[in-house]
Amino acid sequence: MVMWQKWFSVKGKSLFSIAFSLHRLTGVVLTIYLCMHLAYLTSIRMGKEVFESFIATTVTPQFLIFDILLVLAGIYHGVNGLRLILHEFGLTYESRKSILYVSVAIVLIVWLIASYRMYTFVMGV
Amino acid sequence: MDVEFRIRRFDGEKSYWQTFNIPVKRGMTVLEGLYYIKENLDGSLTFRASCRMAICGSCAVKINGKPRLACETQILEIGNSLEVEPLDNFKVIKDLVTDFEGFFKKHEAVKPYLIRKDDNYEEPVELIQSPKELHAYYDFTLCVKCGACYSVCPAAATRDDYLGPAAITAAYRFNADSRDEGEKIRLALVCGDNGVWRCHFAAECSEVCPKQIDPAKAVQKIRFKSAIETIKSIFR
Repeated sequence: MVMWQKWFSVKGKSLFSIAFSLHRLTGVVLTIYLCMHLAYLTSIRMGKEVFESFIATTVTPQFLIFDILLVLAGIYHGVNGLRLILHEFGLTYESRKSILYVSVAIVLIVWLIASYRMYTFVMGV
Repeated sequence: MDVEFRIRRFDGEKSYWQTFNIPVKRGMTVLEGLYYIKENLDGSLTFRASCRMAICGSCAVKINGKPRLACETQILEIGNSLEVEPLDNFKVIKDLVTDFEGFFKKHEAVKPYLIRKDDNYEEPVELIQSPKELHAYYDFTLCVKCGACYSVCPAAATRDDYLGPAAITAAYRFNADSRDEGEKIRLALVCGDNGVWRCHFAAECSEVCPKQIDPAKAVQKIRFKSAIETIKSIFR
């Protein structure tokens, strides 16, 4: 099994390894998104019409699912990153299991609220 | 009751799975199962074992995907089908035997012994230590160097020169010892990018440690100390 395949292997792994793998994967996703986002913003140099045509293409119900998944990746990466910083400062590793559960709960709550707000904004409801 | 042992074997050239069915009694360990296969079914099966009582750390293998000591893992606790593999992150020599030379070199590199300025072997003196001072490092003395932590470490998987959780834990064990005077020497050894700063806190090392030592805690404690020392050095 090559290294990247091991990232997806959950056999025998604890939740911490799964959290680690997800952190890396969301990091890759966010890096790709950042490059696309910068390219997208740069389109404004080609004129207001070009930029607005991009907006008209992406801020649509068809793209909503991708935006919602992207927000999940961003929230997970941020909250899990804060958890790691806390532990890496030498704090609370004895409670790391509880803190992992709390982090996942925070991610889900924030994601659901954000998804609802995005849904109402894009669908106009 | 018969239990199926699927063993990942390696003959020096190719790796393959081989299945054995063995009769199991209540209380029988995976190591006893491996000995049964070697003595009754296939004498060429190779594995490493010594004390049979979870002290030497020789028999660590991957059982159903998780590193464990074969001598303290009871077969029926796992189930009626077992997959036994050599540890990850180590070069396999034959079947379940892996090469620990690099692992022990890394352990040796962190100077895992008391360093004192007043060593006098002609007239040794007793070094007094309170129970509180003992408990500051005692848990970390229980490491049996089985390599389970190293085998699951994602940082060790992607960089050969990473010291790994066991060696850094050994460094912490001596740094936390009130009798030791070699903290600065050891910090210089473990605080590089191939030391504590390579750790990503996946914490899997602490999850699989058969002695429940919590190597991840030792790594973070040294990392924090390293950060403080680096900041202090700026103002010196």
